Amino acid sequence: MKYLVTDDSKLARLSLIKSLKNVAGDVAIFQATNGLEALHIMKEEKVDIVFLDLTMPEMDGYEALPKLLEMNPKAKIIVVSADVQTKAKEKVIALGAQLHMQKPINVEKMQAILEIL
Amino acid sequence: MQKFTLSEDEQDVLQELMNVAYGNATAVVAEMLDAFASLSIPNIKVIPTKELLQTFQKLKESSYFFSTQAFNGEFNGESAFFINETSAQNLAKHLELQTQEDLDDAILELTNVLTSTLTTKLAQEMSTEVNFSLPSISKIPLSEIENIDTFLQYSQVIVIDTQLNFQDQKINGNIFILTKDESIQWLKTQLNTILEQLI
Repeated sequence: MKYLVTDDSKLARLSLIKSLKNVAGDVAIFQATNGLEALHIMKEEKVDIVFLDLTMPEMDGYEALPKLLEMNPKAKIIVVSADVQTKAKEKVIALGAQLHMQKPINVEKMQAILEIL
Repeated sequence: MQKFTLSEDEQDVLQELMNVAYGNATAVVAEMLDAFASLSIPNIKVIPTKELLQTFQKLKESSYFFSTQAFNGEFNGESAFFINETSAQNLAKHLELQTQEDLDDAILELTNVLTSTLTTKLAQEMSTEVNFSLPSISKIPLSEIENIDTFLQYSQVIVIDTQLNFQDQKINGNIFILTKDESIQWLKTQLNTILEQLI
């Protein structure tokens, strides 16, 4: 199983990776700082699960999400965002995300996510 | 005077904490207005107060309303909110407000909810609490921005600048969280503790 953590914030990536390792163990984790980098990694690695932030420079999560699914329709996209507006959640689900989770992702939330997937 | 700077890592941590706090605050305001806001990446910098006042001067030219809210605790400072004339009129239209008084009242309430939710959540992310002093919020005449004592008594401030942006309703504003000399060192320590816990 390959994971991709996409967030422009180092803190957000480190925090999520820490929770992911805690729950999933020693798995393959790739990192991207924006949507464009995420697309590049998806092309090279065909990752299975993508954690995707929405507000990022270069290419945001809304733009990257459908493109990631186009490249790998079997990928599961978990949007991890500070934007907790109902309309934001509805929008990402309509774009094909499996889940919309509020930042930050602690161990309990990560457990719940991986159980759902 | 000691000159403070934020390292790249400290800025990153603060920016991410602010993102989370702003996301919460925006959701509350979006619900109030029954609208959808687009979030932007906050801009964080340490600047001399003189430079801050110059920024405010530029915003003043197009502003309708400027309000501030002080907060106290280990993390202390001031939050400030600017909304421009067009946005104020669009807000009046969106909420079907008839009088100037109603509009002022609505913007004060909007500022109150936005800045207090934002500051409270940001403090919570740093494992502390803030208190809001009374009067908790006030409208400042634009002509008096450069004379606000609360800003003049500090040499430099950490400015966290972000935008409130309701595209469909064409309502946007600038929000600043100003953290002053005495709590900058505390803030740096907190940011580094958060980072160290992850490495």
